[in-house]
Amino acid sequence: MTTELMTSAITLTSVTKSYSTTAPAALHGVNLDILPGTSTAIVGPSGSGKSTILRIIAGLEDANGGRVRLSGRDVTALLPEQRGISMVFQRPLLFPHLTVLDNVAFADRAAGVSRAQARKQAREHLEMVQMGTFASRSPQSLSGGQQQRVAVARALAAKPSVLLLDEPFSALDPGLKDEMHAMIASIRAAVNPTILFVTHDRDEASAMAERIVVLENGQLLQHDTVDHVFHQPASLAVARLLGGKNAFAGVIDNGVHHSAIGAVAIDGDVGSGRATLVFRHEAVTSTLRHATSGADAAALATPHADAAACQRLGPRELRGTVTAAVQRGPRRELVVRVGDADVHTEAAPGNLLSVGDPVTVSLPCEALWTVPA
Amino acid sequence: MTVTTTSVDLDTARSNQQQRRMPGDHGRPLTQSRGLARALRILSTALIALWFALPFLPLVLWSFADQWMHPAAFPMETGTDGLTAAIANGGGRAFLHSLALSLVVAAIATPLGAMAARALSRGQVRFGKAITVLLFSPVMLPPFAAVLGLNVLLLRAWVPPVVGVVLVLVAVAIPYTTFSMRAAYAAYDDGFDEAARTLGASSRLTLWRIHLPLIAPALARSAFLAFLVGWSDYLITLVVGGGHLVTLPLIIASSASGVGNESSVAVLSLSAVIPPLILLGLIARSRNLDPGRQR
Repeated sequence: MTTELMTSAITLTSVTKSYSTTAPAALHGVNLDILPGTSTAIVGPSGSGKSTILRIIAGLEDANGGRVRLSGRDVTALLPEQRGISMVFQRPLLFPHLTVLDNVAFADRAAGVSRAQARKQAREHLEMVQMGTFASRSPQSLSGGQQQRVAVARALAAKPSVLLLDEPFSALDPGLKDEMHAMIASIRAAVNPTILFVTHDRDEASAMAERIVVLENGQLLQHDTVDHVFHQPASLAVARLLGGKNAFAGVIDNGVHHSAIGAVAIDGDVGSGRATLVFRHEAVTSTLRHATSGADAAALATPHADAAACQRLGPRELRGTVTAAVQRGPRRELVVRVGDADVHTEAAPGNLLSVGDPVTVSLPCEALWTVPA
Repeated sequence: MTVTTTSVDLDTARSNQQQRRMPGDHGRPLTQSRGLARALRILSTALIALWFALPFLPLVLWSFADQWMHPAAFPMETGTDGLTAAIANGGGRAFLHSLALSLVVAAIATPLGAMAARALSRGQVRFGKAITVLLFSPVMLPPFAAVLGLNVLLLRAWVPPVVGVVLVLVAVAIPYTTFSMRAAYAAYDDGFDEAARTLGASSRLTLWRIHLPLIAPALARSAFLAFLVGWSDYLITLVVGGGHLVTLPLIIASSASGVGNESSVAVLSLSAVIPPLILLGLIARSRNLDPGRQR
């Protein structure tokens, strides 16, 4: 089935939202299409409008303009309970006066299902999140992670067409987060709901979603696959928001980008004119260079002449000196001075590089990308 | 419908760990008094309890005292003369009047106070501060002056005396219920209502199944305060009621102004004290029975 033939699970058309006449708009004419059965992450800085989008889709906020469609049905004017969505919030928000089982049975009870039947189905959903043995417990007796599992089960029990998650795992520690990501993956394999979730954690976005929406100041900057958003950002702002540290303003001429780090051939049709070269620091490695192999240079003695040469000749190499080194878990991030510019890289495995070490920075062709200046 | 996910053993272990008390947790050594401080705490608690309980001792003794002359330390003759006299003086009917009046005042002032508190705590009200001051004005004004003024107004408006009593007492009770519910709503998470709505519950169902159960303890406290306003009132019932509504405080006052009916006054006074104490006990018990309450 092609994309064009599928009805989008969620469609936002020119959605705008302002919380007050004096404050800047929370959303500026956002257009968004989410395909059924996909998992999409919305990322962006605080106040970018991430949660507002979710709340407008859920019907918890009214948009000032634009339309919201779920599976082709215009739900803009419908109440939250009429939209067929479920939402998991940052806090589990389990109803403290109900047991875990009755929390999960709540959606069925609200729909008029008998208590016995609702509880039977609730047990199935609790089993799905491995919380079956906690059915008779009160929510307060559970840990934060367990509560959030129950919250997910409760949302799934409503059999939503769209599952909205508003930073649901942000309060959990890294180990629990990994468990939750695995749980969501299992749920997707079992019931395949359309998932739209908000997160400020780039790693979580890439772990749970196949597509990412990048928002800033209420404007949608890019909606693309995880790989494209990280490695082929639509703009410098997207690159920055997703943690990109390398950006070098320059000019493209005949497929070669000229900037402070020298002439770098770019793969593909990149046009010509002013452009900024970007690449992820995780995709660029540094290795120790012997002092006799030549002085630091902003460019190699034989720069790649054109884009085709980039693929043919392999990684572009720069020479520089380490000016800063920070260990992040098993990875070692470096700042390498190349000519007048700082290049952020990672130390190649086995290279215990320190400040002052001369290094060779290897730029793979696939990691290089240009965005409008 | 079962799917394979990673084990929750680690999470369970964390849950068990959370249930274990850790340094700094509530009730642990850092917050527990020891030695001299502990002795002082127990002594001061006992003194306060005694201070509250002591006034009731003569009441209890007097209520069963058929004869108690000076300088006897205890009643010389015990019996039910006091109870008989209290009933003969209209104590039973006054008790029922007080109960009905207090329940009506609580039933009206509690939901009004809750609604006002919710609107004020959400910042939905324009000129919220001015309205808060207005709500509290019945408590701030000198009661006698306010009641006399209101009485003239109610008489000229042909408002029946009993209705007038209820209206004025509700106005006096609303500041208490509003204040009490406002504190509750400041701590209330609207997210519960939102979660219920996204699970398919209508606004009415959300109100009955989620909102009201969650604020029930605060509503009970608020209703208790409103009940007390009606239960303990003397001035408004006397002036606005104009004798049409005889409540327990009115009977107690008239009995106490006489001589030689101490045991009757004691019985009436105890009957005025016991219902609020029972209500207080019920409120405390309902909180203990709350299934969501952490044990």
